[in-house]
Amino acid sequence: MRRVVVYAVVTVLTLVATSCGGAGNVDEGDEGVELTVSAAASLTAAFTDIGEDFEAAHEGVRVLFNFGPSDGLATQITESGGVDVFASASPAWMEAVAEDLGVTHRADLARNRLAIIVPTDDPAGISSLEDLAEPGVHLVLAAEGVPAGDYAREVLANAGITDAAMANVVSNEEDVKGVITKVLSGDADAGIAYATDVTAGVAEEIALVEIPDHLNVIATYPIAVVQGTERRDLAEAFVEFVLGPGRGTLDGYGFLPA
Amino acid sequence: MLLVLVACVGIAIVALPIAGLVARSPWTRIAEIATDDATLEALRLSIVVSTTAALLALGTGFPIAWLLARVSFRGRVIVRAVVVLPLVMPPVVAGVGLLAAFGRRGIVGGWLDRWFDVQITFTTGAAVLAATFVALPLAVLALESGLRSIDERLELAAATLGASRGYTIRRVVLPMLGPQIAAAAVLAWARALGEFGATITFAGNLSGRTQTLPLAVFERLQTDPEAAFALSVVLIALALTVIVALRGRFLR
Repeated sequence: MRRVVVYAVVTVLTLVATSCGGAGNVDEGDEGVELTVSAAASLTAAFTDIGEDFEAAHEGVRVLFNFGPSDGLATQITESGGVDVFASASPAWMEAVAEDLGVTHRADLARNRLAIIVPTDDPAGISSLEDLAEPGVHLVLAAEGVPAGDYAREVLANAGITDAAMANVVSNEEDVKGVITKVLSGDADAGIAYATDVTAGVAEEIALVEIPDHLNVIATYPIAVVQGTERRDLAEAFVEFVLGPGRGTLDGYGFLPA
Repeated sequence: MLLVLVACVGIAIVALPIAGLVARSPWTRIAEIATDDATLEALRLSIVVSTTAALLALGTGFPIAWLLARVSFRGRVIVRAVVVLPLVMPPVVAGVGLLAAFGRRGIVGGWLDRWFDVQITFTTGAAVLAATFVALPLAVLALESGLRSIDERLELAAATLGASRGYTIRRVVLPMLGPQIAAAAVLAWARALGEFGATITFAGNLSGRTQTLPLAVFERLQTDPEAAFALSVVLIALALTVIVALRGRFLR
């Protein structure tokens, strides 16, 4: 019995020791360093590519991404920290982090247009923004607070169809990718998301309906280094990389220049 | 001594998150948060969905438990495995499965949409379906173990005295199964109350129709963590009320 206890204690101590040894390692060089980047869900494809390019250019560096709704990411950063770079889909959530923890090296990395997403077979026959006000349309938006959700509501207000369209909303998704998922599965008749969300991978199953420019909202994506990061130089390098070579990647995915 | 120590660690692991929620809840705002429209809708919806799901889980669970405990048939092992599967499935996977079956392009949902113009996704019914799906295995397991533990000879005695199968079940088996039925009901209800992954994936998230308390907490967490803490306390209070009201009786 005593031997089992000794083994158990040793195991636990070893686990604790190794996990403590791993975290909080700040190296002078680039050797085995991890950079944590929280980025808006709509940046998933573009940033994954940029991350790979950055890792190729910086030996020994690993970029770890948290993709999600900008509001959730901002709240996560202010509540638990641990993030080096933040890229938001709206200035509002960057402000929230700036006011709470502080940010440096802030710049706008891109802009994006909103669009209506429908399944390719278009069961509800949506061909214009006004069609979203037709009774019986199953519309999916991102939740309020999520940039895509707030922008979508702004677009509907610009078109003067808020009441009718909001009555058609069947789900408020936690992030813009959730909107795509519901349209992809065919359960939603339409969703409002970013023009860039119709990627090559889903182009066969979902289609885009344009929102006229005078009614549309252009989203601005700020990026910044979070104050208090232990990898300040690397974080700044990443931000500069996104604004430099990363621009090509962003253009390729359909983002508008900042 | 070591046993007590380890037990204390275990209790701490469970108690600390609850203590943390209570400590960090904005007590000055809790009255305002607990009574705002979204919260009341979520509370109402949670109670309706969980209770309906628990009743459905019991109602369909009893015949399944009866089959597994009393009837020997080929493929019994497979049936039991299938019925228990939702228990080990990650809830999001359960949600994806429900979409594949009952979504508008699903194997059953597609037929319902084409022939009856009926869509299950995004309705309260979908939330009930998701909750029932995850609660059913718990009900079946509790009821099956209960059926195995009661004396079959009493049922045989009833049969020799002329009771039909239905009469025997109603008047002999079910009364004896009282505590196990209560246990199954509480387990199913608790699981249904806490269901999140399958609900948000299959039923969606709309206040008043599909946004149960767990979904409301998650949504609040993205923008206002303090409000999320307060809502979580509401959810725990609801669960605690039921557990305390039953005073551990369902554990016997």
